[in-house]
Amino acid sequence: MKANIRWLDDPETFRINQIAAHSDHLYFKNYEEWEQKRSSFIQSLDGKWQFKFSNNLQTRPLDFYKTNFDASDFDFIPVPSEIELNNYAQNQYINTLYPWEGKIFRRPAYSLGQKTDRSFSEGEDNTVGSYIKHFDLDNSFQGKHVHVFFEGVERAMFVWLNGHFIGYGEDSFTPSEFDLTPYLKEKNNILAVQVFKHSTASFLEDQDMFRFSGIFRSVKLLAFPETHLMDLALKPTITNDYHDGIFNAKLSFTGTKDGYVRLKIKDINGQTLLDEEHNLTSTITIENKLLENIHLWDNHHPYLYQLFIEVQDSNKNLIELDSYKFGFREIKITDDKVVLLNGKRLIINGVNRHEWNMNSGRTITKQDMKADIQTFKRNNINAVRTCHYPNQIPWYYLCDQNGIYVMAENNLESHGTWQKMGEVEPSYNVPESLAEWRNVVIDRARSNYETLKNHTSILFWSLGNESYAGENLIAMNQFYKSHDDTRLTHYEGVVHTPDLKNKISDLESYMYLPPKEAEKYLKNNPSKPFLECEYMHDMGNSDGGMKSYIKLIDEYPQYLGGFIWDFIDQALLTYDPISGKKVLRYGGDFDDRHSDYEFSGDGLMFADRTEKPAMQEVKYYYGLHK
Amino acid sequence: MDYTNKLHIIYGDAALGVQTKKFQYIFSYEKGGLESLKINNKEWLYRIPTPTFWRATTDNDRGNGFSVKAAQWLGADMFSQCSKIHLTVDDQKFDPLPIAPFNNQFSNHEYANLVKISFDYKTTTTPATICTITYVIDSSGRATIKMRYIGKEGLPSLPVLGMRFIMPTMATGFEYYGLSSETYPDRKAGAKKGVFRVKGLPVTKYLVPQENGMHMDTDKLIITRNTSLNNADRDTNDFQLEINKTDKPLNFSCLPYTAEELENATHIEELPLARRTVLVIAGKVRGVGGIDSWGTDVEEKYRIDSSKNFEFSFKLS
Repeated sequence: MKANIRWLDDPETFRINQIAAHSDHLYFKNYEEWEQKRSSFIQSLDGKWQFKFSNNLQTRPLDFYKTNFDASDFDFIPVPSEIELNNYAQNQYINTLYPWEGKIFRRPAYSLGQKTDRSFSEGEDNTVGSYIKHFDLDNSFQGKHVHVFFEGVERAMFVWLNGHFIGYGEDSFTPSEFDLTPYLKEKNNILAVQVFKHSTASFLEDQDMFRFSGIFRSVKLLAFPETHLMDLALKPTITNDYHDGIFNAKLSFTGTKDGYVRLKIKDINGQTLLDEEHNLTSTITIENKLLENIHLWDNHHPYLYQLFIEVQDSNKNLIELDSYKFGFREIKITDDKVVLLNGKRLIINGVNRHEWNMNSGRTITKQDMKADIQTFKRNNINAVRTCHYPNQIPWYYLCDQNGIYVMAENNLESHGTWQKMGEVEPSYNVPESLAEWRNVVIDRARSNYETLKNHTSILFWSLGNESYAGENLIAMNQFYKSHDDTRLTHYEGVVHTPDLKNKISDLESYMYLPPKEAEKYLKNNPSKPFLECEYMHDMGNSDGGMKSYIKLIDEYPQYLGGFIWDFIDQALLTYDPISGKKVLRYGGDFDDRHSDYEFSGDGLMFADRTEKPAMQEVKYYYGLHK
Repeated sequence: MDYTNKLHIIYGDAALGVQTKKFQYIFSYEKGGLESLKINNKEWLYRIPTPTFWRATTDNDRGNGFSVKAAQWLGADMFSQCSKIHLTVDDQKFDPLPIAPFNNQFSNHEYANLVKISFDYKTTTTPATICTITYVIDSSGRATIKMRYIGKEGLPSLPVLGMRFIMPTMATGFEYYGLSSETYPDRKAGAKKGVFRVKGLPVTKYLVPQENGMHMDTDKLIITRNTSLNNADRDTNDFQLEINKTDKPLNFSCLPYTAEELENATHIEELPLARRTVLVIAGKVRGVGGIDSWGTDVEEKYRIDSSKNFEFSFKLS
């Protein structure tokens, strides 16, 4: 197959040759590697890559993926990083409108009865990053099946290896994984990636944030031994009045099916609770294993059990060790529309969190994540909404370990297609009910689910943010309902199409609904539990009047709580030649127009990760219902 | 200086001087206010204290249109002038003011137990109203300062209602007995009561400079400086001004900038070089709100009703 630039214009083409999304379990060669948290099956490709920036798609290098291409005029760029923050392309912050507002007229393909056009494959705003990485395989990779795993690339990418087309991917915030095996050499492989800032996916990624592009999350190679656990689906449930657990799991293997699988569950003291052996087959199902006297997982006691899966060959030699830490917890809605976690009323003392670092944008480090978790713990924040896209995978592990309740949101926001200057005007809304936009949004739901499904911390699947509603949002809701009966679904945008409320979202979700309005809903026989998925807008000096929300918790059991908007100011540290200082800059400070200026800074934290004075108030009120 | 525990009164031609060993006040009839406050020979005033009505609008103030509705208070904050002065020394009321030739009867040995001087400031709003600042100095030399605002129908809700003192040089810090961190009437439940020492005059680093640094429910405030503008003063030791509550706790902010300087900057680095101390003692503070930043006003009980009379007071020592 050859790469086709017209895929950028086609909402029905969003993944070519991509490996189906699967669980994010860690895998190692043996226990030693597990102890050292270093897997010889993983080879990082992070670091310096050769790079060529093209201001538009017409001037991009066409042959750069070929093995004989002369790349001597390429620069170097760090991977991961944002192209804009390497000063190749202009920074732009814009909220609801599309970044091409006032520059290019566009309508989504298939909206308003149209077909596709060449708006993206010929669009003059479509900047291009062409990346080349030369690599030799680690010794441990020789002769193995090898995939390349991109954890996040904004916004559409084509991949080649050693001159051969490998695949195409969209969805900037979920992994894109491709099989490299057929074209792989031991030494001097040439991986070529072309990243386009825009495609039809741009209509689905209109989040209120700085608009960046590039390979902004890590890239790694994955090697598979002769048998590999490709997917793990855990389903721990609770029984006997919250005393005992029931463990279910489905294991899917690739490669040779000749050998054994040994599965062990241990508690934090290393006591083995389950130890069983199975003959290796493509799929192994573990059903209804009763584990007595379990510890439940919650914010105060995030108790996790250690699952090991030993993959053994026919001689019972260990060839792969898989690891996952999971907890037992149960979320449900009572007949009275109260949300219970482990049988007790759940209160969400939450924040919305964009991934942000004032130096590197959405390329954040584990250190940033750990600091944010510490801030949560220090200030009684018990929940996070991953606004408005799946986060880096390590974040979910940290939330499991620290008892942070997660609302795992899809990468979906089509705000500019249905709301203009504050008014609802959905004439060319996508995805709405357009058949051509259905698979792409289902795929986003699937990637979010399949990748993250084993994380105990995830209590809610959120369909997306501010994307209006129609048949396609219904289909997303159904996707989650048909795959997962252990979590709740969430979507706020259905408030604009109340007729669809019985088909979308287990929660009645609003954003910024004043306390008195929220009370009206709660007083009148609520049909769903009520949530403020965004509230207390913390722009500048704000967060006054929180009491009026918090007292609803005491008055109405159906009030689930809310997620403060938001965690950290989006501002960029920039050198100011006038003052000679490094200073924080926001939208509009880069000659970026149209912009929404300081609206990028709504955090409880300043962009430098220090707390705003308002945090002491959050700590107090969130401490009242810990 | 005479050995007396009375106030020494200097009936000047354009000002009234009031002195003790420790305190020296000059009330200017020309400027319409307290022109000089010296404590132990250190000057504490750069310009006369005035009523203050403006706060640098917050993002929420701008988002909900309060900045538009309240705009005339910005003019009033900058340009309202003294319209009338009332002076009483002990039991004697001076009307007109005791300037020449009336004051020719006095000497350099005039003493009293109590001075009460009031300045009416007429706001530049439409309709206008009056804000009166009264200084009562007892024989110890300590001043009790009271501000009285006359409510008026037809005026927009107030951004703040207080008094602004601009000091000649920047303070090295301040100490107060009150609430931790930055607080507002609708954001103070999480604060702890205690003694807090603040180094320098920090401006909270909101992306766009705006109202910041308010401290609600304060019993006592001590501001420390170690520099003056007096070219003959070589002393670099710390010196202090102490402010105490009277009947009710006071609210204050202590920053290097006026509300107007903050209002004008789009980024913190655009603020002028910090060189003075701007103390606002606020009788009434508007809440910051937060339901959203694009329309919803601060909750009603945290707005300042301009149609109601209001007064507050505090003591200097």
